[in-house]
Amino acid sequence: MTRSKQWILSIIGILIVLVFLFPVYWMFITSIKTQGEIFQTPPTFWPHHLYGKSYTDILSSGVTRNVINSFLISLVSTAIVVVLAVPSAYGLARFRISGMKFFILFFLVTQMLPPTVILTPLFIVFSKLGILNTYIGPILASATLGIPFSVLVLRTYFLGIPKELEDAAQIDGCNRFTAFVRIMLPIAFPGIIVSAAISFLFSWGDLIYSLTFNRNQELWPLTASIYNAIGRYGIQWNSLMAFASITVLPVFILFILLQKHLVKGLTAGAIK
Amino acid sequence: MSEKGNRIGYLFVLPAILYMLALIGYPLIYNIILSFKDVNLMNMATNDSHFIGWKNYSDLFKNHVFWISLKNTFIYTIGSVFFQFLIGFLLALFFNLKFRFAPVLRGILMVSWLIPLTITALLFKFMMGDESGIINQILEALGIVHHPIEWLTNPHVALWAVIIANIWVGIPFNMILLSTGLSSLPDEVYESASLDGANAFQKFFYITVPLLRPVIMVVMILGFIYTFKVFDLVYVMTGGGPINATEVLSTYSYTLSFTQFHFSLGAAVANILFVILFIISLIYLRMIQKDEVM
Repeated sequence: MTRSKQWILSIIGILIVLVFLFPVYWMFITSIKTQGEIFQTPPTFWPHHLYGKSYTDILSSGVTRNVINSFLISLVSTAIVVVLAVPSAYGLARFRISGMKFFILFFLVTQMLPPTVILTPLFIVFSKLGILNTYIGPILASATLGIPFSVLVLRTYFLGIPKELEDAAQIDGCNRFTAFVRIMLPIAFPGIIVSAAISFLFSWGDLIYSLTFNRNQELWPLTASIYNAIGRYGIQWNSLMAFASITVLPVFILFILLQKHLVKGLTAGAIK
Repeated sequence: MSEKGNRIGYLFVLPAILYMLALIGYPLIYNIILSFKDVNLMNMATNDSHFIGWKNYSDLFKNHVFWISLKNTFIYTIGSVFFQFLIGFLLALFFNLKFRFAPVLRGILMVSWLIPLTITALLFKFMMGDESGIINQILEALGIVHHPIEWLTNPHVALWAVIIANIWVGIPFNMILLSTGLSSLPDEVYESASLDGANAFQKFFYITVPLLRPVIMVVMILGFIYTFKVFDLVYVMTGGGPINATEVLSTYSYTLSFTQFHFSLGAAVANILFVILFIISLIYLRMIQKDEVM
């Protein structure tokens, strides 16, 4: 490919990215505009007056609380995913157990299930167990998003690790569990991190479980709170967009940290 | 494998299975039972609900909102899948031209897929505002429209507004899967086709598309499955309105269960959604089972 053709393609590529991600830019730019500038015609494509009050406004309206809730719900549910999915993926990759085909199928099907189907029954069950309006409901329910995904991705990952490594460990006196913990877990660590990150993002983005199982607004994560704020802030779009920017910030940080691996992990989980 | 190996294997595998059975399997069955009863907010606590047979379903079939939401769900899904596949495919072809920044740029596009749907919905709600929304402003400045489009308030347009937002979310997913497929195609076929004098279009329609057929099918069906069950995007953008114009099965089920507290009716709608998805999933599973050893 000639040099000039390289350049032309790169420039077109950059233009595509800029147009495609314009909504994200618009979100951030709106969050630092004044209310007057937002409704100005023609619109301004960068703020003429930097306005940080939207951020201080929503911070003083208690958004910190929602940030903590979001992290709490997502981290605990990710922990559940990792603790359950890693051994399960390993078991499905390494042991020839009867019913294995069925188990893999089971995870595949649960991954495709609409949350709406389990919503009403879980609401009734949680209400009978007296755990509505606590963190428990959203945590337990959003872990079900990450488990099948992680099992399927990590099983492929474990299949790619040579079996001889474990055999060697067993000759050196490890049993199956210590071989798993000491040999396999460290090798699979990069894969585990990626599937944990994706499970975290699943929980972070959850709206429906928190909205349904939590009528207590004190316990709401960012997503539920922002949904509620749409009515409260009306057309104060700078505040809403500041709210939105805060919500996507951790997503962007994870994306930048894990970019290549995240994309690979997501596609692997989608097909397998 | 020995009996013992089998048993240790179960110790590894079962905890996750049991968790999923408790939180997905059991509710799934409960939901079916629920749909044949008359549970509402009043009798939920007192436990004096009754089996009423197929009444919930026959009530639904007589209700025009149900038919509207069924129709909307299909339009929403097919419209989204078609366009996000088309645009995703074009982008995959473009970024498959091996220029220097292609992999990085393609990676960055994935951002739209990772943003929580609630935020995406809010963003599009903002951009699709009648007078001051940026999309109308741009369209008017370019002379494409002369009056602002009432994206979210006109019942004839609203469903397409939500579809556009969904297309934006789904494009990178289609693009990345198709890219992976494209890069696995053997170069030799293209080289010999060039020797035989095939042009770019002939190569595309006689080599790329047929060779990529399995990937294309998988991408489309997965897109269908993930779009068919969408809730957050519609719920936040329009809440199903105006006048049920964007009501889909998932939002309708939610409204029945958690706004009107007709739990059993909501469960019945969710079951219909599930049955349709289940059939599609079976087709999908058959397809991938042919491709790889499970």
